[in-house]
Amino acid sequence: MTERRLSGTGVAPRSGAGTGVWYGPDAAVALGDPPDPDSVDAERERDRFEEAREVAREELRRARDRTAERLGESEAAVFDAHVQFLDDPQITEDVDAELDAGYPAEHAVRRAFDRVIEEFADLDGRMAERADDLRDVRDRLLRLLLDEERTDLAALPPGSVVLAERLTPSDTARLDPDRIAGFATVSGGPTSHAAIFARSLGLPAVVGVGEALRDVDDGAEVVVDGSEGTVVVDPAESTLEAAAADADVEVRRDPVATADGTPIEVAANAGTEADVRAAVEHGADGIGLFRTEFLFLDQSSPPTEDEQYDVYREALAAFPDGRVVVRTLDVGGDKPVDYLDRPESENPFLGERGVRRSLGPDADLFETQLRALLRAAGDADGGRLSVMVPLVSTVEEVDAATETLDSVAADLDADGVSNARPEFGVMVETPAAAFLAEDLLDRVDFLSVGTNDLAQYVMAAARGDERVAGLRDYRQPAVLRAIEATVAAAAGTDAWVGICGEMAGDPDLTPLLVGLGFDELSVSPPAVPQIKRAVAETTRSDARELARRALAAATKQEVTEILDASR
Amino acid sequence: MPERVVTVVPEDGLHARPASKFVEAAGEADAEITVGRVDGDQVNAVSMVSVTRLDVEPGEEVRLIAEGDGAEAALDELVRILTTPEDEL
Repeated sequence: MTERRLSGTGVAPRSGAGTGVWYGPDAAVALGDPPDPDSVDAERERDRFEEAREVAREELRRARDRTAERLGESEAAVFDAHVQFLDDPQITEDVDAELDAGYPAEHAVRRAFDRVIEEFADLDGRMAERADDLRDVRDRLLRLLLDEERTDLAALPPGSVVLAERLTPSDTARLDPDRIAGFATVSGGPTSHAAIFARSLGLPAVVGVGEALRDVDDGAEVVVDGSEGTVVVDPAESTLEAAAADADVEVRRDPVATADGTPIEVAANAGTEADVRAAVEHGADGIGLFRTEFLFLDQSSPPTEDEQYDVYREALAAFPDGRVVVRTLDVGGDKPVDYLDRPESENPFLGERGVRRSLGPDADLFETQLRALLRAAGDADGGRLSVMVPLVSTVEEVDAATETLDSVAADLDADGVSNARPEFGVMVETPAAAFLAEDLLDRVDFLSVGTNDLAQYVMAAARGDERVAGLRDYRQPAVLRAIEATVAAAAGTDAWVGICGEMAGDPDLTPLLVGLGFDELSVSPPAVPQIKRAVAETTRSDARELARRALAAATKQEVTEILDASR
Repeated sequence: MPERVVTVVPEDGLHARPASKFVEAAGEADAEITVGRVDGDQVNAVSMVSVTRLDVEPGEEVRLIAEGDGAEAALDELVRILTTPEDEL
């Protein structure tokens, strides 16, 4: 049998192989017609309803705890809302009325919930999401009332690959990553609850596969490749072997070196406290890109110096022996912040964003952030703190940012506030920064290449525009050469060079990156074990030869062939 | 009856987590509480369905009315929830 490949959106950079198990929550709620009201004992039905509600409440409490532990408080809050729907006076009164009218408990629940669900489902956006929550609560009650032996996600045989139309928050809370090899869904996007969950656990998953997924038979052999975003049905032996190698990656707590002894730091990118926890769990050596936007976005006012200080200190405390590279505020572009004045820009990605704002309209925010960072750097109990500024394109910007850093340090000293001068670096994201790498290195301690933006700007191909995705690819020779210009400039200096874009998280490219001369690779937390393994399997001398050949290639096709041949 | 008019601050408005916290606090209060737009109908603050259905966005004003021994304390707490940015809740 030849293998079939279906594509969707991959949400965790890992593969899993196993037996497909269709999971259909809707199947459990099929009810026949209600019986004759005279044959129903209303009191007994009321007791059944109350009992189911009690068990549901307990289940939700457990789901909440589990989710809080795995994903954090804000994701767990969805279960608080479920409890409130369960206890909603309007719905329970409605259920009561249906019980009085002689409906058995399951029919009463369905009738009462469906009225509200229909009303919410007709509305837009988040009201429709509430309809999903209500369905989730309704189905939980129905399952309990019917004693349904439905597919229990928490008790699937090890090696199952869950296939579903979609997975609700309740469903994802029940997925046990130690047993389940992965999941694939017909609908759902990269920001769905299921996708967030999969990413934070490193669980192989592909969402939004579309109708084609429905043709996969229950019991079929399936490989879910979360890095490519493919579901492979009836996989060939070679595909299975590759997936198996991918699935059992051991977490290495210690730093790694190449097979011939060159140490390479493997750090993680983080944007939330949950990411920092995930980085520790997956054995990252430190944080290579700590995005600070989450502190500033989705709020009505900027975070205070103390609030920021606490966050930076916690990140440092998580890596007592490592390094935490904090990127200063990177807004503008596509990230709206309500309390910041942002003029309309015809092309925000080429407009006032990143360091351009920090040295202009957001100068106050920048100073406050640096104060918090310098104070955190002064704490002896955490790891080393590094600060880097985004979107640099001139030497003057680096000089101005350094001056601000110096003046903030002088202010703190004058106020008698304990602080220390952190390592200072810039992100190389513009062709300008790549061309100027040598001059930048005269002024900073390190460079970190952000490949997503660098590819966008080198190739003049906007991120988010799928029509030019083929251009915006780090296998493009022009992108590789911009990266090489940056790394080469650092050779023989004291500065180190890291890479923190998506390119770093692809284990197929690890030898190339090692060969180019990177000292540090920073990747999404779940990708850390794979990248560490790839580093350990790489020989520096071979990697250099590979990089030399790749850099000589004139087309993306040639680069791809060179990389494929080296695997 | 004690009442307050307050401008809703959380980014999600009276949805999701803020709504959840609001309904939870209303349920724990020793008072009967209703909520609604200043010029609109008041609904039971303990009902997640009713509160969510108001579809209150950040920046909108709502009126809270409370009746019972714990009315003032309950209003203080609910006002706090409605005027606190989401990630500090």
